[in-house]
Amino acid sequence: MNNDCYLYEDTFLSLLNLIVYLIKNNIKPGNIKNCQYIPNLLDHVISLKIEEDGNIINQIIQYMGPYTFRSIYYVFLSTEENKELILYYLILNGMKYKEKVLYHRNLKCVEKTIKIAKAVLHEAHKYKGFTRFKELENHILYAEIEPTNDILILISHHFQKRLRTEYWIIKDVKRGILSLYDKKKYYLILEENFTLETTLLSQKENEIENLWKTFYKTIGIKERKNERCRRNFMPKKYWKYMLEVESEL
Amino acid sequence: MELQEKLKILADSAKYDASCSSSGSNRKTKDGLGNVALSGICHSFSSDGRCISLLKILMTNCCIFDCKYCLNRKSNTIKRAIFTPEEVCEITLNFYRRNYIEGLFLSSGIIKSPDYTMELLIKTITLLRKKYHFGGYIHAKAIPGASEKLLRDLGLLVDRLSANVELPTSNGLKLLAPNKNESNVTKIMRYVKTNQNRKYVPAGQSTQMIIGATKESDLEIMEKSENLYKSFLLKRVFYSAYIPVNKDNLLPTLESPPLKRENRLYQADWLLRFYNFKVSDLLDEKNPNFNILVDPKADWALRHLNEFPKEVNRCSYYDLLKIPGIGVKSAKRILSSRKIFTLSFEDLKKMGVVLKRAKYFITCNGKYFMSANLFHKEFIEKNLVLEETTPSIKTHEQLRLFNE
Repeated sequence: MNNDCYLYEDTFLSLLNLIVYLIKNNIKPGNIKNCQYIPNLLDHVISLKIEEDGNIINQIIQYMGPYTFRSIYYVFLSTEENKELILYYLILNGMKYKEKVLYHRNLKCVEKTIKIAKAVLHEAHKYKGFTRFKELENHILYAEIEPTNDILILISHHFQKRLRTEYWIIKDVKRGILSLYDKKKYYLILEENFTLETTLLSQKENEIENLWKTFYKTIGIKERKNERCRRNFMPKKYWKYMLEVESEL
Repeated sequence: MELQEKLKILADSAKYDASCSSSGSNRKTKDGLGNVALSGICHSFSSDGRCISLLKILMTNCCIFDCKYCLNRKSNTIKRAIFTPEEVCEITLNFYRRNYIEGLFLSSGIIKSPDYTMELLIKTITLLRKKYHFGGYIHAKAIPGASEKLLRDLGLLVDRLSANVELPTSNGLKLLAPNKNESNVTKIMRYVKTNQNRKYVPAGQSTQMIIGATKESDLEIMEKSENLYKSFLLKRVFYSAYIPVNKDNLLPTLESPPLKRENRLYQADWLLRFYNFKVSDLLDEKNPNFNILVDPKADWALRHLNEFPKEVNRCSYYDLLKIPGIGVKSAKRILSSRKIFTLSFEDLKKMGVVLKRAKYFITCNGKYFMSANLFHKEFIEKNLVLEETTPSIKTHEQLRLFNE
């Protein structure tokens, strides 16, 4: 059994560099984990000093196409336990099949990649709709989310274009990461490096929230009531931060 | 009247319009608040399981018309309200900033005259677009009977315009909506079709029909839809199961809205738009209504069993689309993958094919899923019907177990 467990620096770039290094040197890893990984008794942990090459992203895009690259990135954002190993095998096969690699759905790594990437994108899409901002006293819009996958960067990109004339903050509560937007760019920042100037809500907030709750209640047609359908499209895991349904939890 | 109460009245009056989509617009915005997402985004789901993406409201529920089926008809004694343009903007912007909504769906009862009503809509949306630089999605109702100039002005401000045909035949319309005139709706659709481009109604037009208020058959309804898609390049026809809100001896009395029928019509509508089916494939004079037990595609397949089983590794894209359990996406996946390797039943499952439906109609590399003597209509039909009704059977069994 192969117990060689290779570590990377917890960044996307570092993982890609490690995988490409392993492939180039014909090393078959037993496992790949980020540096916070707590090894078990059997693991033989190996930490390589690899120079980080930013150009590697372009090389992968050129070789396997932008679509494959995006899928790789989405898998990296997921919480899948073996995502690193899946990506190793995907990139290994990508060297052979190039931009057609994702058509090889009979390969396990391809099947998994497609499935995981889809789940990540799906969750990001849901949060584009289900994220709820509150206006703080200082007119900054503030939202909290608790996504399964690390989709903060994906939705930040979306809100940067949408709410471009506003200052906003989105906090991933579970990961302790904030996304701050200053009307030009967004920045991802760790919770411990940031304190909110105020947590008081703006004067209008209560009134607007009540208007929305009224609208939500009114728009449902009682003759068509369909709880199963509602839960299907809007599972309860999203409800915690959605003011129109949080009281139903 | 307080804003809260107005919103309640004017959302309540608007909720029967089925259209909710916020997709299909690729309008670019440079500055100001908001943009559009081509795929559309659902922001919430109401208690009836329908998506909420737009702030769906009426400008006013005052109406000079007296359509029998409508909550807002002149002869009803209900609370009436009217928004000011500023109020609509305030609610829209505040909801949009907090990401409650994708945009605005503005409709209206007809107040004073069609032109007057349309001018009110235009005034409101102009304010929203020009003064507040709102870039989000806007769907507006075109008011039948309003002038062409107003139709042009409104179309330049919004993403989607729609005018409801309301009922599938003009006889039905005459009966239930005596003030409405089919040619007025047709005029709007023709105008939008002729002028539509990147700047004018970029997300195209849609319409809605009420199902079950008059006696039309599914065949008549689907022929109407087919005709509308063909003549006016509509993006969507929405079907809305009739919900009795008024008492009138011209209206049917229903115990519950015909939701299953509505569901079948939507399924058939998809077959027309994405699966290359024609209405004449699905329904005819002898069978003018859809089978309530199995969906229209499976029903078609059962009636054309001589064309099956189809070999998924060889048959054409259009043949793949005809197989129950295979959709547009899985058909495309099959096409791209089978060039590379021969597909097995296991592979099909991974591609999102619903095998429990498809298995009766396909062969994989020459193999049929079950023993070949089970390939006959009665057996397949029985299983498909059973499969569609399975959830209710399961709960039934569970209850019995508990009782024992």
